[in-house]
Amino acid sequence: MKYTFRRGIHPEDNKKLSESCPFEEMPTGSKVYIPLSQHIGAPCTACVEPGAMVKAGTLIGLSNGYVSANVHSSVSGKVLGFEMRENAQGRKLRHIVIENDGLYEEENLPPLENPTKEQIILRCKEAGIVGMGGATFPTHVKLEAKNKINIFIVNGSECEPYITTDYRMMLNFPKEIMEGIGYIKTALQANEVAIGIEANKPDAIAAMTKELTDPDTHVYELKTKYPQGGEKQLIYAITKMKVPDGGLPSEVGAVVLNISTVYALWQAVKLGKPCYSRYMTVSGEGIKRPCNLHVRIGVPLSEITEYLGVNEGYVKAVFGGPMMGFSLASFKPVTSKGSSALLLLSKKEIRPIEPTPCINCGRCASVCPMNLMPMMTDRLILKDMIAEAKKFNPMSCIECGCCAYVCPAKRPLVQSQRLAKKLIRERKI
Amino acid sequence: MKLLVSSSPHIGTKLTTQKIMIHMIIALSFPLVAGVVIFGLYALTVVFVAAASAVLAEMLYNKLTKTPFTIKDCSAVVTGMILGLNLPPNVPLYVPVVGSVFAIMLVKMLFGGIGKNFANPAATARVFLLLSWTGVMRSYMQPLDYSQGVWKALVSGFTKQYITSATPLADIKSSAVTGVLPDSIRLLDLFLGRTGGSIGEVCAIAILLGFIYLLIFRIIDWKLPVSYLAASALSALVLYRGGWTYILPTLLSGGLLFGAVYMVTDYSTSPNTAAGKVIFAAGAGILTVLFRRFSGFDEGASIAILLMNLIVPLLDKWIPKPFGYRKPVKPEKTAKEAKNG
Repeated sequence: MKYTFRRGIHPEDNKKLSESCPFEEMPTGSKVYIPLSQHIGAPCTACVEPGAMVKAGTLIGLSNGYVSANVHSSVSGKVLGFEMRENAQGRKLRHIVIENDGLYEEENLPPLENPTKEQIILRCKEAGIVGMGGATFPTHVKLEAKNKINIFIVNGSECEPYITTDYRMMLNFPKEIMEGIGYIKTALQANEVAIGIEANKPDAIAAMTKELTDPDTHVYELKTKYPQGGEKQLIYAITKMKVPDGGLPSEVGAVVLNISTVYALWQAVKLGKPCYSRYMTVSGEGIKRPCNLHVRIGVPLSEITEYLGVNEGYVKAVFGGPMMGFSLASFKPVTSKGSSALLLLSKKEIRPIEPTPCINCGRCASVCPMNLMPMMTDRLILKDMIAEAKKFNPMSCIECGCCAYVCPAKRPLVQSQRLAKKLIRERKI
Repeated sequence: MKLLVSSSPHIGTKLTTQKIMIHMIIALSFPLVAGVVIFGLYALTVVFVAAASAVLAEMLYNKLTKTPFTIKDCSAVVTGMILGLNLPPNVPLYVPVVGSVFAIMLVKMLFGGIGKNFANPAATARVFLLLSWTGVMRSYMQPLDYSQGVWKALVSGFTKQYITSATPLADIKSSAVTGVLPDSIRLLDLFLGRTGGSIGEVCAIAILLGFIYLLIFRIIDWKLPVSYLAASALSALVLYRGGWTYILPTLLSGGLLFGAVYMVTDYSTSPNTAAGKVIFAAGAGILTVLFRRFSGFDEGASIAILLMNLIVPLLDKWIPKPFGYRKPVKPEKTAKEAKNG
């Protein structure tokens, strides 16, 4: 029996484009632009002055909030100054501009041997590790959970179409990931570890199973279904526990981290390397050579598209997965800790954006993993009936996009849910 | 290079409203073909006129209200076809025209068009026609007799005047008191459509093929027809003295099966939640058999569906609990907490 959750969708995964490509080093240009906000919390305070010499791994942005994480330089060279640049969401953010001297000298933290719980959590904080699946929630906050953690779940489902980074990492670094899992188990003092991998990645399942040494760590084969990697869905699939509505996974004694995050944490503990580079998938019909890249943080996306070449005729550029990523207005934004993918999609691949009237078919409600009724929120929010829309629980929406994916009328249902959340918060209804 | 910017998700199913309607048209053509074979080419004309006047009525409405044309989604064709298949095969052609104009203009477009009407347009139009032209709507012809030559039989509907004949529904109704099925009710005839009745209703096999087609392409929700049929079967068991012998004749005669597959499943007039769907369809099933057994008419499917349409907004008041729902903390407690905080 494969583990799974209720409802959800089966999109075409399109992983064939890049799944067989081994990791490739993306050359870094003469300048990098490091965003001071690469996590969900408050932006960091810059702790270097223009003119300062830095190395790869030098702390340049100091975290000053609860859900915020340190930022490090990704190259060695000279700090040129600060620049306001747009990020992928179109928000203007402060970036530190660093001139790359091409030497890539490193300034790492001391590696830890047999670290304790406190040491691992502190290292996580120092190295600026965040959830690298895209949500960029600081990892040390998860590790410091107040509740007793029974189970640590490693998210290897990679349920978003196109993306193949976690898959390649499981094939290339199974030993390192397993060791990283061990560190996190120590930090959480968890009784059990579950590694969830979707059934469409049998060789990743085999690779991880081969490295199993701990008797309390198991690999779970998950049904290939979206959003299998959604935190609440994954916890339900493996443990059958329901994370309370509006609550955190730690309330049911679970913590979920994805493969990239586990690997980054392993690097921080074992090698002392702070989080200044990551692996990402570049794919879609608009890319001449779809592949999996190892990129440093702060590289403009235009350099990536130039490096891999584009096929004319793409109409949309997506930062992240096609279900939950952001569509870009330009290639000016840079790679950051949360950039799992860059997709250039052709007209054939994208969903039409012209909506037609709702025909009330109920498909959105029948696939919603949170058991909501997106059509009702959509209908009411457009009439500005916010109190009525709230009854349909838009606050519980995880914005996975299943509803809009199946909608035959092509209505922007996720956008309506977001609008509902925003208006409910603003007007305090 | 200009890039499209929009909210996630960026990919989606290839299914569109238009494709759904085309699937419906294909599914409706199974009973249509059966109806033409059984009743001749005049029946095809009736359905064609119904569909064409539905499309024209929608165009006219768009023109009158100065709104963009909405016929591209093909839903008017579906409404017209369902209405046409609900008519007796020998009706004068003004009947489908009046019915379609009524269904599209009054029932569908006036309430805002596709997805916004609260009553099933085809069912409403049928009931309207039944009340307005009762005689015409209740005169059914017998299946064609092909022994005189195929072509002659097929075109006979255009010239020949038909004598009203009894339908299985009437036979079942009149036998309900005794509880013994008359010999005229043969299940094989009901399956194959060798009986009098409306164009699309008579051939159970064709309707079931359409049902299977719609299920394969996931156009309709199985919960609706299954609950409708189950409730009808159960009601037949209870309400007829003949008990179980009446179950299959009830399900296979008249518009019950056709209604189950093509009318109960209408998107805009059925509830949004699973539980709501079951209650709605089961209610329609019970009412159908109640009407058949006790009302002045032989048939009750359309009126039953229509009546249940009216309680759909009520059923939709029931909102499912989100995944991981927990009961809100009691107000007294939060008030106290607020004070302490």
